[in-house]
Amino acid sequence: MLDTTLCGVTLKNPVIAASGTFGFGAEYGGYFDVGKLGGICTKGLTLRPREGNPGLRVWETPAGMMNSVGLQNPGIPTFLERELPRMRTLGTAIIANVGGGDLEEYVEGVRLLSNAEGVDIVELNISCPNVHEGGMAFGVNSDVAAGVVTAVRCVCSKPLMVKLSPNAENITAMAIACEQAGADAVSLVNTFKALAVDINARKAVFDNVTAGLSGPCIKPIALRMVWEVARAIHIPVVGIGGIATWQDALEFIMAGATAVQVGTATFVRPTAMLDIVGGLERYCANEHLTSLATVRNILGTVPKL
Amino acid sequence: MTIPSPAYIEGVTVLSQERLTDDVYRLSVETTTGGAPGQFYMVRAWDREPLLARPISIHSVAEDTVSFLYQVRGTGTELLARLEQGGTVALTGPLGHGFRTEELRGRIAIVTGGIGIAPMFCLARTLPPGDVTVIAGFKSRPYAVAQLLDLGVDVRVATEDGSDGTRGFCTAIFDPHAYDTVVTCGPTPMMARVAQLCAETGAPCQASLEAHMACGVGACLVCSCPTVQGNQRVCADGPVFDAAEVIWHA
Repeated sequence: MLDTTLCGVTLKNPVIAASGTFGFGAEYGGYFDVGKLGGICTKGLTLRPREGNPGLRVWETPAGMMNSVGLQNPGIPTFLERELPRMRTLGTAIIANVGGGDLEEYVEGVRLLSNAEGVDIVELNISCPNVHEGGMAFGVNSDVAAGVVTAVRCVCSKPLMVKLSPNAENITAMAIACEQAGADAVSLVNTFKALAVDINARKAVFDNVTAGLSGPCIKPIALRMVWEVARAIHIPVVGIGGIATWQDALEFIMAGATAVQVGTATFVRPTAMLDIVGGLERYCANEHLTSLATVRNILGTVPKL
Repeated sequence: MTIPSPAYIEGVTVLSQERLTDDVYRLSVETTTGGAPGQFYMVRAWDREPLLARPISIHSVAEDTVSFLYQVRGTGTELLARLEQGGTVALTGPLGHGFRTEELRGRIAIVTGGIGIAPMFCLARTLPPGDVTVIAGFKSRPYAVAQLLDLGVDVRVATEDGSDGTRGFCTAIFDPHAYDTVVTCGPTPMMARVAQLCAETGAPCQASLEAHMACGVGACLVCSCPTVQGNQRVCADGPVFDAAEVIWHA
């Protein structure tokens, strides 16, 4: 009933663990059967290991949180050797999220990950707001993004999904540029670039000054962006941004998302994604739907006022 | 000692809430999930706000009870302090790697600052009382000391305002030469000082760190702490670390 095809890959359901919120799938294994998820996006990987950002990395906001992890990861070779074999036993789709400091690092990272047996989809991260070089630097301007997507497309032997930043100059133009450059899907949104000030210390809370905002507070803006993008492109859109309940997930699907990713909600309630899957199943049963496709992308176009 | 596997449980009943000082409380909840000394739970006593649960160390454990000793620091702990008997919390835990009790031998010093005393009742109960000296520092009026004395351990108190024990910091009354192994928990500058004193005498020191957390289970990497082995996750690799491996002044 919830089976979902995402750029040729069959998912059990449209609920995917968002990158950076689920490690490599092991940490939450004690709380629920992670094999019941539609997929897992790995922690953002880079060719070389990264220690991430110094200083405080998390700050709570009303209905949200800011993070400044900065792509801490063991590097792609270590991931392939130590984490991927175990991830393959989890019984869910594996989406390898890849970042980079420069174009060469992106290309080599995508080449290694897409050639690895067990990786179902490569998610290209051009949207991390927490690293100076790379990350979001490639995800603000459409022409720059198209250059990265074109370059990695040539070496990517698996479906390529590009994770977009809400900090893009024009999210719709960005999505169109990625589609034209060869992306098989887009996922959006990554975190919003945000600021918190420690008024007692009279300085920014984070060493990096800005950090990425996630959680329920971003949901309405993320939803609007997904709706705009879904209207403008012909490849699947994966909705991300503050999804905490099955109703939230359904909003994204009705706005045009083929699948959704859930991140911050898992921190709040380790079983949040299972509850979302269960809620969507009940919804389909109650509404006599054989597939969520019936209610996908049903909002229509921009009204002419 | 077998470490129980962690669980996520909602609707855990509050058995008691005691106010020990102006801002320090002891909360006991009914659960059989237990835990080892130095482990913690992610605790939540509200629906939507604040967004995240709060990491609170285990103060004591019984067959069907876990107690937390905590200080009100902000919105989350203020809401915890409002809980009354019969209320409920959601718990994830027990989490993290606690004290390596098998490595504590000879004359054992437990050096704490403020609410850092919280996990030490649970720990002291597992040690031979005659071997243990607790050196506890407080800003003002001490708390949670009587129950340690009841265990038969030696307790020495320092207070910053001189209201009890020796006036000053606990590190001033901690003589590292007098102990074979050391455990510490408290403000970072205090633990850094204890770690430095232990490094000078060569006494092994285990430090229980505090950090802001989001997931509490090792997935999100927001609570990382620099160590000689690279960044470690306070929630999953710690919260107890070998003090000599922590980079205290990063």
